[in-house]
Amino acid sequence: MFRQHFDLPLGEDGSGRFVPWIVAVMVYLATLSVAAGMAVNRSVDKWNIGLEGTITVEIAASNTRAEDPGEPMARALSLLRSTAGVRSATPLADDEIARLLEPWLGQGDVPLTLPIPQLIDVRLEAGTQLDLDALGTLLENAVPGARLDDHQYWTERLSDFGRSVQVTSAFIVALVALAGAGTVIFATRAGLAIHREVIELMHLVGSRDSYIAGQFQAHAMSLSLRGGVVGLALGAATLGILRAIAAPIEGSLLPTVTITAGAWAVLAALPLLAGLIATITARVTVVRALQEMP
Amino acid sequence: MGYSADEEVLRGINFHLRPGSFHFLTGPSGAGKTSLLRLMYLAHRASGGVVRIFNRDIARTRRSVLPGLRRRIGVVFQDFRLLDHLSARDNVALTLRIGRVREDIIRDHVTELLDWVGLGDHLDAKPPTLSDGEKQRVAIARAVIGRPNLLVADEPTGSVDEYQGVRIMRLFEELNRIGTTVVIATHDHRLISQFNYPVMELDHGTFGISGAK
Ligand SMILES: Nc1ncnc2c1ncn2[C@@H]1O[C@H](COP(=O)(O)OP(=O)(O)O)[C@@H](O)[C@H]1O
Ligand SMILES: [Mg+2]
Repeated sequence: MFRQHFDLPLGEDGSGRFVPWIVAVMVYLATLSVAAGMAVNRSVDKWNIGLEGTITVEIAASNTRAEDPGEPMARALSLLRSTAGVRSATPLADDEIARLLEPWLGQGDVPLTLPIPQLIDVRLEAGTQLDLDALGTLLENAVPGARLDDHQYWTERLSDFGRSVQVTSAFIVALVALAGAGTVIFATRAGLAIHREVIELMHLVGSRDSYIAGQFQAHAMSLSLRGGVVGLALGAATLGILRAIAAPIEGSLLPTVTITAGAWAVLAALPLLAGLIATITARVTVVRALQEMP
Repeated sequence: MGYSADEEVLRGINFHLRPGSFHFLTGPSGAGKTSLLRLMYLAHRASGGVVRIFNRDIARTRRSVLPGLRRRIGVVFQDFRLLDHLSARDNVALTLRIGRVREDIIRDHVTELLDWVGLGDHLDAKPPTLSDGEKQRVAIARAVIGRPNLLVADEPTGSVDEYQGVRIMRLFEELNRIGTTVVIATHDHRLISQFNYPVMELDHGTFGISGAK
């Protein structure tokens, strides 16, 4: 069996005592930031999928007032239904429109007496090459006051938002990794200074740099892994609490935020990443310092 | 060589040690004995001149090769340099562990050698609890345990009584008999006179070797 023998009393000198705590805080922050990034991304995807393949046609109220209220609607419907690539075109019933407006106008008959636009819910065939701009112009010419909304404004903004959250999350993780590496450099330098004589002796009796660095590496790895696991546990607990609080309003205001198995795998990799960064940082720091010896 | 750019401690020294030879190195305190030994055990690179060890010009040897050479050199440091956090046993085992010798072999050899230098009862003692003489014997055990090709000892009998001093010399002679080149720095002329080995003498600025008497 391979047993790593520690010639350097790294665990007893206190130089690394703060490392697990700092790594715990860092992995905690990284966990929340990565979870937020992934949740927002999933929501944006869902919204986009929900909006994809649907457009809305709006016929302004002033127009419906003037003439026969059903006439522009009928013309718009027939034009839409005769267009290749349109699967269905369904007018939204007045009470449905009223329901959509409820949050703004309140309950009751009131809305129906107001000039309310008429809406048509249009579903497109999957993979259609339909030119929406051309269809919009056609519609506006045929039915005065009609306007086609392909939700592009929203989907673009949602995608922008999703991307910004992703970039911010990656930036936070990078900052955390840098700060973590700094912590390990600091602790390793302290260890090198404390054990200067021991290291010099080991060097003089023929230790390779890698043998000495190996002990620092193993120590840094163990400290960071311990801290990382604590940070991940705290992060998971926080996410659980947030989900419990969000549960009642999910679906109506908030999109359902679920953390998938894949997402958990990514989060679980964070402590390992911390351990890896610590190991590499310790190695580079020690090997650099040893280069000074003949 | 020197410890700073403008002052040289050793200069104009030229000698060759035949493999398997046994030499004393003597001279007054501050003459440069330790400095010369440091060149020999590769703790210091010479500022000028050529140092050849095991037929290698050290100045032209890649740094990555040096650990392998150092493992063929046993060193008894004047100030022992034991690791205070390790037991006597682990201090002696250090050089073998670095060479990745198997643990069961290490255990047997270390126990036997520490017994031989009279420390069989102190295997697990940490250096701070040992007397200077005991520390010196642990340091000597560490230097010889790997059967080095070159043994360099800096005042190895400075802290032990005459009886132990002679015992230690016998240990060095035994090592020498199986082929190890031995260099012992000492200013103890009584010790030198008890043996019939050539003596290198350093005195501020001068260097000479006298043959065996
Ligand atoms: N680490 C050092 N830094 C600077 N000068 C040193 C150092 N070690 C020794 N010297 C100087 O080098 C000279 C030789 O010392 P040393 O080799 O220890 O002599 P010896 O072992 O014969 O007593 C002395 O003048 C000493 O002051
Ligand atoms: Mg000296």
